[in-house]
Amino acid sequence: MTFNNRLLRALPPADQNVLRPHLRWSELERGTVLVSPDEPITHVWFPESGLSSIIAMAGNDQGIEVGLAGRDGLIGMPLLLDADRTPHRIFMQVTGVGYNIDGDLFRTVLDEHAGIRKLLLRYVQAYSTQTTYTALSNAMHTVEERLARWLLMSHDRQDDDEIPLTHDFLALMLGVRRPSVTIALHSLEGLGFIKATRGLIVVRKREELEEFAGAGYGVPEAEYERLIGQLR
Amino acid sequence: MPLFFLHIDDGTQKIEDEEGSEHPDLEAAREEALGSARQLWAAAILKQQDIGARRFVIVSGNGDIADTVEMDDALPRSLLDRLKMQSRP
Repeated sequence: MTFNNRLLRALPPADQNVLRPHLRWSELERGTVLVSPDEPITHVWFPESGLSSIIAMAGNDQGIEVGLAGRDGLIGMPLLLDADRTPHRIFMQVTGVGYNIDGDLFRTVLDEHAGIRKLLLRYVQAYSTQTTYTALSNAMHTVEERLARWLLMSHDRQDDDEIPLTHDFLALMLGVRRPSVTIALHSLEGLGFIKATRGLIVVRKREELEEFAGAGYGVPEAEYERLIGQLR
Repeated sequence: MPLFFLHIDDGTQKIEDEEGSEHPDLEAAREEALGSARQLWAAAILKQQDIGARRFVIVSGNGDIADTVEMDDALPRSLLDRLKMQSRP
């Protein structure tokens, strides 16, 4: 069993063998809620593909994306940090597959295997860098720049160039109304960086998109590669 | 809930809303267009752009034009009046 999840892949074979018997294959359909606000977290997921969004809630049905995790990471981070719940909501926004492990078993494994804990804690550091740059981007960048950043982050976490996302989802990701997304996509398309059709965005010119995204993109990715290993 | 499309038209080009969104009624769709227009103005002002020529064309699920919302409709009335006064010869 070769892992596509970058964390599982980064573990030495002996540590992979510790986790392997506890991992259960899991289909992660778009829309599946993996973590609900303030409810006990029962499992930790290691996505092999797909994308999950970590949402900071503003009331019951509103919120903004504060973090993104796919094959680069894990879902259920509070269990790693000696907490059993979070105010955030985490759901799949792009369908994928992955492994899950029972929460109690996960904690036992961490207690007994310092190497696994250390690697996963380094991921927490990389992830927290990502969220700080999301804060920076939300405060300093235009919707077009933030969209470019978000598309790059999404592109990093998949193999092909086609990102299956609706404008509705992107509006939630970027904390803007849908027409702002429509116009931003139109601008990036006008520059030739992407091609947007209904529910699908194709990345055409990755390097140009990176340049356009500016300071919002690059630092968290470099931090991830320094701490964990290859991201893309 | 009925589906509405909020296309954007500036007289020379049209940016299609391909997906549409559900709203309880036309009034709610108008409110969404007005709120969106304010957000677009905010971004435009930061870039020193005038987007006053744009308008939202609200199209219902069956393809009929249900209403239009001018970008200027989203500005505070007092600001709009002042701008109009300044533009007089």
